[in-house]
Amino acid sequence: MQQANEPLLEVKDLKQHFKVSRKFTVKAVDGVSFKIYPGETYGLVGESGSGKSTIGRSVIRLHELTDGEVLFKGKDISKKMNKDTERVLRTNMQMIFQDPMASLNPRKNVLDSVAQGLDIHGLYKNQAERNERVLEILERVGLSKEFAGRYPSQFSGGQRQRIGIARALIMNPDLIIADEAISALDVSIQAQIVNLMKEIQEETNVAYLFIAHDLSMVRYISDRIGVLHLGHMIETGTTEEIFSKPLHPYTKSLLSAIPHPNPIIEQKRTALSYDYATSGLDYSEGSLHNVGGTHEVLGTDEEVNNWLNKYSMKEVIGVR
Amino acid sequence: MKEKVLEVRDLAITFNTSAGKVKAVRGVDLDLYKGETVAIVGESGSGKSVTTKAIMGILSNNGTIDSGEIHYTFEKEGEEVTENLLNFSKKQMRKTINGKHIAMIFQDPMTSLDPTMSIGNQIIEGMRTHYKTKKKIAQAKAIKLLELVGITDPKSRMKNYPHQLSGGMRQRIVIAIALACDPDVLICDEPTTALDVTIQAKILELIQDIQKKIGISVIYITHDLGVVAKVAEYVNVMYAGKIVEKGTVDDIFYEPKHPYTWGLLLAMPDLETNTEKLVSIPGNPPNMSHDIVGDPFYPRNKYALHIDKEIEPPLIAVSETHSAATWLLSEHGPEYSLPTELQARITRMKEEAKHYAAG
Repeated sequence: MQQANEPLLEVKDLKQHFKVSRKFTVKAVDGVSFKIYPGETYGLVGESGSGKSTIGRSVIRLHELTDGEVLFKGKDISKKMNKDTERVLRTNMQMIFQDPMASLNPRKNVLDSVAQGLDIHGLYKNQAERNERVLEILERVGLSKEFAGRYPSQFSGGQRQRIGIARALIMNPDLIIADEAISALDVSIQAQIVNLMKEIQEETNVAYLFIAHDLSMVRYISDRIGVLHLGHMIETGTTEEIFSKPLHPYTKSLLSAIPHPNPIIEQKRTALSYDYATSGLDYSEGSLHNVGGTHEVLGTDEEVNNWLNKYSMKEVIGVR
Repeated sequence: MKEKVLEVRDLAITFNTSAGKVKAVRGVDLDLYKGETVAIVGESGSGKSVTTKAIMGILSNNGTIDSGEIHYTFEKEGEEVTENLLNFSKKQMRKTINGKHIAMIFQDPMTSLDPTMSIGNQIIEGMRTHYKTKKKIAQAKAIKLLELVGITDPKSRMKNYPHQLSGGMRQRIVIAIALACDPDVLICDEPTTALDVTIQAKILELIQDIQKKIGISVIYITHDLGVVAKVAEYVNVMYAGKIVEKGTVDDIFYEPKHPYTWGLLLAMPDLETNTEKLVSIPGNPPNMSHDIVGDPFYPRNKYALHIDKEIEPPLIAVSETHSAATWLLSEHGPEYSLPTELQARITRMKEEAKHYAAG
């Protein structure tokens, strides 16, 4: 982590509302701010409907922002962009999607699929250079050269995800948004892909916005974590801070819900439950309070004090 | 003496596909005792779902059962009988077994519920067809079931349709439907994979509670070892259509013997993993449309022996409850030791357990 540097990505008070009908608007993301520094991994976690994927899509401008500001490499990418800014965004920020089968064109072979970014931006002098770069990247993600002429249907899930990573990587990006990039894969393959992503990070100093619901993987890969619930950032901090001292009741319930692969403990405990409707909390009332280091939690002064005073980790582990 | 409910012997299943014959299950033995919870763990394509579909008699049409027996012990007109379910026709299965004796919960509640039918009607449907229960009585029971699965205000919920409920609520409804005809065996095929972790914990705890209350036997199919640790008493690890290791949950987590199980345990980060790299299983699962010679795990196995290339290892017993299919365990097998990372993790797990037991 390189806190001293300028942030690579800065999201300020991002709001993303979707108008469903004349009377009803879904506030998918309601005022979320965070920063990502070069070479670090920021994990966004939350349940379905918490707005984590929407944030990823808004940041890379797949949605028109309702409100807020997004700065990428110091350039504002939240409003109408000029050609230069758009070029910076489209080449330096890439995305890996959840389902590699759905994100690859079944009628394009791997070579052309991976080269698509290069083609669009005209980033090579001749065909030979283009193909060479693709083969290089394929090798890097652990696919042999013979695969270049094959089609997505001829690959297994893990291999397809490697193609997805290769597509993002070939642009030499500074930031990769990985939206549930490993959720669709088998456990043994997940570990392969996560290791690959970590290796690539060490080599190229790329930053990741890692969006996932699997907390044990997020803990493993992330330097810092943001916990989202109902479109609000309710707690954020380094991985260590969040996992050793979760304060918000939702974060606690989320952590306590992860099953430990340790039967003696696991069969004795019950997960904490949390229900926003009956919790008496109102996310729009609270503000982010710093509780030491970079650890911040959303709540009113009174709530935060309360959580700090009654804090017990035992509760989270939750032995019956 | 534990009562045996279900006994699967040497089950083998082949699918005819456009890419040729796929041997999905290649000789599986499985036992289920009354009130017990058994988990089947494996990656996609390992044959875990196919095995349970064969038990339910709901294999797709291109699937054929090459060999095997499925003995199911149940009460029929007051008498206890044991029948081979493979002798039953699909129609017989539907009339006498499915729902009434063996019920199943699937992964995605949205696809297993009928969107055009109120949930009340979906719950009483089984009772009405199987037992010709009077509508009033069935409805009263449905309300009780909804209470059992933790749905508040069950009376008014009866009139709701699936789209009006959240994912977790829908899965609760599916459980209520499965329990409507008082089955002896409940098969849960990845019951929580489509749900959020917080809801997953609730649903698993719910199934456990119900099991305690009414004493049914449960088979879990899952790829998540955390889930297994939480719910199972007995675990079967499947790979390439065979059970490669079976044992009690403690056998599998604290004394695993098969290199594949080692890989699975190491591939998921526990909350204390601080190593730079996860230990992953290299390569991919084998293509089941090819003939398998030797141990199918051989190409991915660091601990493979020469013999693995030629002869597939049988299940070798380690203790009364525990056995694994690896030549490492044979009397002529070499000296070996657990991967150091795994050894460290098991020690840590045991220490943690001691720590929590103490207070």
